[in-house]
Amino acid sequence: MRTNLVLELQDVPGQLVGVLGPIGTLGANIVTVIHQRDIKTDKGMVPVQITIEGDQNTLDVVLKKLKELNIQVMAVDGIVLKEKITTILIGNIVDRDVKDTMDTINSLEGVQVADLELKLSENNQDSSTKIVVEAEYGNRDMVMDKIEEIADIKEFKVISEV
Amino acid sequence: MRICLMGFGAVGQGVARVISMKNDYLNNKYGLDLKLVAVTDTSGSAISQDGLDVDLLLETKALTGKVCKYPEFGIPDLKNSKTMDMVDYDVLLEVTPTNIEDAQPAKSLIIKALEDKKHVVTSNKGPLALFYKELMSLARENNVQFKYEASVGGAMPIINFAHDTLPGCEIESILGILNGTTNFILSRMTREGSSYEHTLQEAQVLGIAETDPTQDVEGTDAACKTVILANSILGTDFTLEDVKVEGISHITSEAIALAKKDGYLIKLIAEVSPYSLSVSPRLVKEDSPYAVDGTLNMATLKTDLADEVTVVGLGAGSLETASAILSDLVNIWKKL
Repeated sequence: MRTNLVLELQDVPGQLVGVLGPIGTLGANIVTVIHQRDIKTDKGMVPVQITIEGDQNTLDVVLKKLKELNIQVMAVDGIVLKEKITTILIGNIVDRDVKDTMDTINSLEGVQVADLELKLSENNQDSSTKIVVEAEYGNRDMVMDKIEEIADIKEFKVISEV
Repeated sequence: MRICLMGFGAVGQGVARVISMKNDYLNNKYGLDLKLVAVTDTSGSAISQDGLDVDLLLETKALTGKVCKYPEFGIPDLKNSKTMDMVDYDVLLEVTPTNIEDAQPAKSLIIKALEDKKHVVTSNKGPLALFYKELMSLARENNVQFKYEASVGGAMPIINFAHDTLPGCEIESILGILNGTTNFILSRMTREGSSYEHTLQEAQVLGIAETDPTQDVEGTDAACKTVILANSILGTDFTLEDVKVEGISHITSEAIALAKKDGYLIKLIAEVSPYSLSVSPRLVKEDSPYAVDGTLNMATLKTDLADEVTVVGLGAGSLETASAILSDLVNIWKKL
């Protein structure tokens, strides 16, 4: 069984060997490695595509090992892994068009509002909403920039994840 | 080691108590004899070249509120640089209240001491947040030590920790909770589900928040500390106006409840990087190092070699802050 993985690596010497070494010792056969240093993710990391051969169990062990090594897997067999971004907004959420807020976020490519929860307070001015966005890996900064932009226009306060 | 102590509020009195409590210990362990040769408050000074009786000084302050009532050696209305001129001392210990407008009178006192080739220890954020570079180069030019551990995080070791314990690591960024009052308010709102206004009042009754809580709740205090950490640990040249600041006064119990449901807490987080400084309410995971309760402070230093290192400690309090000042005094003594 062959599996394609896209890994996110730092652009420093030794990173690739540091990952391929452990994968090899786990019994997975490394078939191809595509390492294009001129393509960078928005965190300044390099996406590296590798194809490995092995049974399901070997693949699971490899994924576990990558997690241990703190290596981010961006995609498995073409399926882009997503990350969740949670933000809380405080302000006059309802009167400033909740649907428009969602639509604006959803208009970003590869980004989707997965959950939105609203809590009204006595004063409309300081209602709170929690927005959980699912974004393709590596898009966190773009999503946060958009949310900040909306918040600026609609006068919301943004509480973002550390 | 002869100390000239400027300011005799909570921190100054804490230092006096610590000197009284620890003098034998310091003598035995380091051969260090701390002698208070001058003390000032808003009423005036008490000066004795042979050293003031620390217990009598504390008693006088407790009874009369004025150090100038100190028997025999009290001098009403003598203050600031005039006091410094009247006494021979080795270290200026500057603990007057923080002034973030122009950092006075602390700035002038520190400059005078450095120019007179005296070592300086301060807990005062004003001069450090506004004139860090100027003061540090003055200390270097005059070949004296200038220490300020107590200005950030109270008892939590961070500045000396980064400089002396992690000297081989480059610190890339710092993320932390640098204000105990706001952390108390947010922790309490989380636990009790209470409103911001109500919780602030409670903190004021407990003496954790000041009557005018603006500097704490609007993030100014944390912003000053952010500048101090950036300049002293990351080697930047920022001042207070470079910090993007947002306080906690708009945080509602509803927002906290929403966060809690997903395993998050809202904390006032200071972020220090070589390019930008910010203080703002942020979401942190309940099981992360940022989830410290009450008036605790914490900071995570991101380093090149040791990855993340986190320190936690009490962010305020008279003896706790004095403990950081004492570290500075002992460290100066060790390098003499």
